[in-house]
Amino acid sequence: MKKSYFSSITLALVLAFLYVPILLVVAYGFVPNGVSMSYFDANGAFTGFTGKWYAQIFTGHYSVKSLMQSFWLSLTIAGLATLVSCVLGTTSALALHRWKDRLQSIHYALVYTPLIMPDILIGISLLMLFVAANVECGFWTILIAHVTFCVSYVAMTVLARLQDFDDRIVEAAYDLGAGPWYTFFHVELPILLPGIIAGGLLAFTLSIDDVVITSFVNGAGTNTFPTYVSSMTKHSRNLPSVFALSTLMLVFTCILAGLSKFISRKQPQKTKGK
Amino acid sequence: MKENPLRSKRAEAAVTLPSFVWLALFFAVPAFIVLAFTFHGHTANGGVGEWSLSTWRELVDPDYPAIVWNTLRISFEVTLWCIILALPCAYAIARMNKRWRAIVAGSIMLPFWTSFVVRVFAWKTMLHPDGWLQTCYFSWLKVSDWLFDWLPGFMQRFLVWAGFASNAPLDAASSTILDSEAAVVLVSVYSFLPFAIMPIYTAAEKFDFSLLEAARDLGAKGFYAFRKIFVPGIRQGIVSAVLMVFIPAIGSYVIPQMLGGTNCVLIGNKIFMRAMQNRNIPHASALATLMAVSVLVPLGMAMYWKKRQNARTSRRLERETARMIVGRGGEA
Amino acid sequence: MSKDFLVFDHVTKRFGALTAVDNVSLTINKGEFFSLLGPSGCGKTTLLRMLGGFERPDSGRIYLEGKDITDLPPNERRIHTVFQNYALFPTMTVWDNIAFSLKLAKKPKAEIEEAVDGILEMIQLSDQAWKYPSQLSGGQKQRVAIARALVDRPQVLLLDEPLAALDLKLRQHMLIELDAIHDQVGITFLYVTHDQGEAMSLSDRIAVVNKGKIEQLDGPAKIYEAPATRFVASFIGDTNFFEGEISSIDGDYCLIDVDGFPQIKAFNDKNLAVGQRVSLSVRPEKIRVTLNPPLPEKGASINVFPSKVKDIVYQGVYTKYWATSSNILISALKPHSRFLLDQETITWNDEVFVWWHPDDGYMVEAK
Repeated sequence: MKKSYFSSITLALVLAFLYVPILLVVAYGFVPNGVSMSYFDANGAFTGFTGKWYAQIFTGHYSVKSLMQSFWLSLTIAGLATLVSCVLGTTSALALHRWKDRLQSIHYALVYTPLIMPDILIGISLLMLFVAANVECGFWTILIAHVTFCVSYVAMTVLARLQDFDDRIVEAAYDLGAGPWYTFFHVELPILLPGIIAGGLLAFTLSIDDVVITSFVNGAGTNTFPTYVSSMTKHSRNLPSVFALSTLMLVFTCILAGLSKFISRKQPQKTKGK
Repeated sequence: MKENPLRSKRAEAAVTLPSFVWLALFFAVPAFIVLAFTFHGHTANGGVGEWSLSTWRELVDPDYPAIVWNTLRISFEVTLWCIILALPCAYAIARMNKRWRAIVAGSIMLPFWTSFVVRVFAWKTMLHPDGWLQTCYFSWLKVSDWLFDWLPGFMQRFLVWAGFASNAPLDAASSTILDSEAAVVLVSVYSFLPFAIMPIYTAAEKFDFSLLEAARDLGAKGFYAFRKIFVPGIRQGIVSAVLMVFIPAIGSYVIPQMLGGTNCVLIGNKIFMRAMQNRNIPHASALATLMAVSVLVPLGMAMYWKKRQNARTSRRLERETARMIVGRGGEA
Repeated sequence: MSKDFLVFDHVTKRFGALTAVDNVSLTINKGEFFSLLGPSGCGKTTLLRMLGGFERPDSGRIYLEGKDITDLPPNERRIHTVFQNYALFPTMTVWDNIAFSLKLAKKPKAEIEEAVDGILEMIQLSDQAWKYPSQLSGGQKQRVAIARALVDRPQVLLLDEPLAALDLKLRQHMLIELDAIHDQVGITFLYVTHDQGEAMSLSDRIAVVNKGKIEQLDGPAKIYEAPATRFVASFIGDTNFFEGEISSIDGDYCLIDVDGFPQIKAFNDKNLAVGQRVSLSVRPEKIRVTLNPPLPEKGASINVFPSKVKDIVYQGVYTKYWATSSNILISALKPHSRFLLDQETITWNDEVFVWWHPDDGYMVEAK
């Protein structure tokens, strides 16, 4: 049983390795000196914590204006990209699931290949398209790019959900007199909803975190949160604001995830009790 | 032949076209544009020139093969480290009880809820030249330098030639971990490790651990059983882990950009540089094509291997079924 | 034609090279419990799916009450299906599942409630109305699926192997319930199954289907006792086949010459002539096995063959014997009843007599 000790210790070290930067992100959000990024002054004395970076975010201080702008742009693009890719991904999964012909095998290749291609290739090829078509890069090109790489993830998640269900359910709806639209909205959509939500969440996370593809198609002056951060230097004045904002996002997602877990755990108990 | 009304062509077109057209327009067409641009020359003002093979000829430039080789080598190193670390982790998680398994597997994915760029930035702050990581790094350099001197001459020459080592003398001022290859490897391993752990863990979860006990029962030592029974049992998981790490590592751009400085330029950075800074679009396209090839080759190999594996199992199944039928016929 | 209720008129359906339904013509009466019985892949489900509107025939027409419904989509037919795995809507409660077709038809709310509550009572699931399908047992799901398909009074109810997913006890119970439901609603039931027991116990008439064709269409007893073809004889129940040639005819009876076997006397129901080849099917339960020869009976002499017991299988309700006579293996059943049991018990390698009445053999076409 010596083996288990070895693997457990490795696991503990790896977890520490994965969490040290996260702890640092949180810690750097409270650092008083935004230039040295250190809790110690020149004499080695501890300088304490500060909440001023958080205050700047909440009061909309002028120094965090472009940071907040990029943040809101990221949220807008992620929201819109999620919406569009949920629609496209769901129809795509429905088509891939129901028909098995030549058209669908090409369709499947189109949906699957973006998943295995490095982001940078999607970025450069979209840039080439916009160059060839003479399109000015900006908000819309970013949105198009984000939808393009999100569709595949949504489609695959919904497809997985579809494969768990008996196809006869759709036939049963037709059999009982429903047309295609009624069947889709009253029978298929409720079944697929968990899959679409999961795919949408994935799309949102990928979109809000993307830096590579965006930096190819954002054009001059349009920055999302990740491209804004990657363009900062280590001695940027409002670096701690970035860390503070990231901490806020982390806390927010944790609460959201906890909430959804709480709800999903509560539901079966409620119905079981009835 | 008339078809099932539920599977009519018109309905198929209606649900297929939106995603099909979108992906064809914004994924397939751009890919062909990239390929087409590689067969053009470039003009001085950043435009695309006439059809020519000059771009491919210029790729022989000593700069490019070195960059491609460096990218492959670093991706290989990153993949190796990830697998070495992921194997015991996946094993440890799979051996936990169900509740702990969910918690630990979840906490491996949790770091993804913080922005990737922000995490890389945290590393950048951590790797600054006065930090403790720098001290560790310099000590490591000294130890490896000392080990290197012990190697026979031909191996030293080979390692230097392949880019795994350098014979320049150590110098504290220029040997910073920030802006070095070591930083790129370290942070890449950090970023991709969860992608290596998850598929191996998923495979390990299905692994029948009583096999290991059986092997020990038959006298196999701990590590021997791990290597001979556990590792082959989760081979499929390892293959997907390798792909999950190797492919993004090849396409890596942010990490070398932020942490590699001028000492570690990979294909990704070069593509970005050529496309956005020098405005040499044919060169950027050619590099992108090279990158696509370096991704598709290991992928194709993995698929071929899987197919052969499947063919082998199905053949065995057929043989066994045949034997069963013959056996039953013999009894009757 | 117009007075016939449901008609398949020379219907053919191919899937690639496979002809699933081969030029089938069939008439089903109103209110009838009709079964399509056959092995898996025989085309019975394809017939059902064409009636439901899920497949279109390559040629031929289907008429319902004189109206051609061949090209109508499933949602425009008043024909409902009970699917093998129930296909209940997982996101709806039992109540909403059953109310589905009524809501679609935009029936007034009070009418929907009355109809759903009524049918829930009939299937005895009133107390489960607000549960979801995943919370029901197999038998309950089955009843909900039937109720959902029956609630708006379709012209025909199609049942696609509805009991296949249930265990034996439940299946027997559901058989009785199905029969009761059919009596209660008086709707035409078209039942597809590979289980002869289900088809026998429920149906008014059975069509035995094989390789896309109907082999025999008759009442259950006729199909069992007087199989039209060799396939029907072997698919429905167990039987012994004796292959031979008619050697002589004696009134209604004839003698069959079986290779290396004494001649067998049989009722010549097919009016065959001397020299024709024929297969004689004799059901195991018609054959008796005894240690002593039977007393000679009055009138027609019976077939008696000395043989040797090869195998005995005790089955609870009966015991099955395999005995060889001149190298032919004959199976016979014997119920466990004091009246029928001999004084001595039969055991392996005993010399016994197998015997049956000439009327109990039934002729089908030769191999």
